[in-house]
Amino acid sequence: MHERTAAQIIADEFLIARAKILELAATLDRLDRADGDIENSKQLVLLSQGMQILCDSESDKAKRVQLLMSRQYEPEWIEKMAIGRRNVEGA
Amino acid sequence: MEYIDPHLHMVSRTTDDYETLARMGCVAISEPAFWAGFDRGSVDSFRDYFRQLTDFEPKRAAQYGIAHYTWLCINAKEAENVTLSREVIAMIPEFLDAKNVLGIGEIGLNKNTRNEATIFLEHLDLAVKYNQQILIHTPHLEDKYQGTRMILDMLKGDSRINRSRVLVDHVEEHTIEHVLENGFWAGMTLYPVSKCTPQRAADMIERYGPERLMANSAGDWGPSKPTAIPDLIMEMKKRGHSKEWIRRVVYENPKTFFSQSKPFVHG
Repeated sequence: MHERTAAQIIADEFLIARAKILELAATLDRLDRADGDIENSKQLVLLSQGMQILCDSESDKAKRVQLLMSRQYEPEWIEKMAIGRRNVEGA
Repeated sequence: MEYIDPHLHMVSRTTDDYETLARMGCVAISEPAFWAGFDRGSVDSFRDYFRQLTDFEPKRAAQYGIAHYTWLCINAKEAENVTLSREVIAMIPEFLDAKNVLGIGEIGLNKNTRNEATIFLEHLDLAVKYNQQILIHTPHLEDKYQGTRMILDMLKGDSRINRSRVLVDHVEEHTIEHVLENGFWAGMTLYPVSKCTPQRAADMIERYGPERLMANSAGDWGPSKPTAIPDLIMEMKKRGHSKEWIRRVVYENPKTFFSQSKPFVHG
């Protein structure tokens, strides 16, 4: 496997990332200009939290944004849904 | 570079797409049964759909030198209708001996409901009974993580299931580890907005290695790009990866996985 250095990645991808930041900025500007109060909307809160992940110093940002935007997994779901079986033994 | 697309819904694409795919190096396609965009009304409508998958589509693909393979099921969305689902599951064996059927799929969950899970388990029983491979759809967007974990629970809870014969599709950054560490194959879907980009797929290949990993376009009736795998090939070339490494993901891995089904004779 070929591995790029950080310098190569920023050189290759700076303009792409810049464009994506501009798209987000433009979306937020459209929200500012539009009528109506969505300050407490779940989607706006999620976007804000997602952007905070981008700015923090921890790794795995893509995974953490995915998990932020996901429904919770409940380990006891099979029992709660009562779908009948947990372990099936093969022949 | 020759490639195989493990997940492409050609029933919803024009013949022009077959020509484009052939020109871009696609040599084989695997097409799981899916939701048509509306809920079908009867088992006969599924019977006609399966005829299309097993008879018409292979002929259409062959005009452009592409081998067409398929999977059969009632999809997760329509699985909410348990009565219809059971009629379809009972009818599927009529088609399992068709020359291009690789197994049962794409089964899975949609909104992660009890009915969907019930029908998913009944599909597993069908696959085991007829010794079929399994191709799995994991849910979209906010339902994906919860649904993938539920699907893996059901698979892991059944010791009859041979994990090396199961492909869990549409993995993303928060689900790929769970799939791979439990011994299943994982598919990354290159689909605009609601799934993965070629760049993020390339990241996952670099991070987890090519073992048991594939990519697909899942081109369908929605905004999608059937030629997404060549986009991934291009991205990986731009990053300096070798032809052998790229070919492993886009050709050798699908060939290895599908060769576990007798009808797959490509290469």
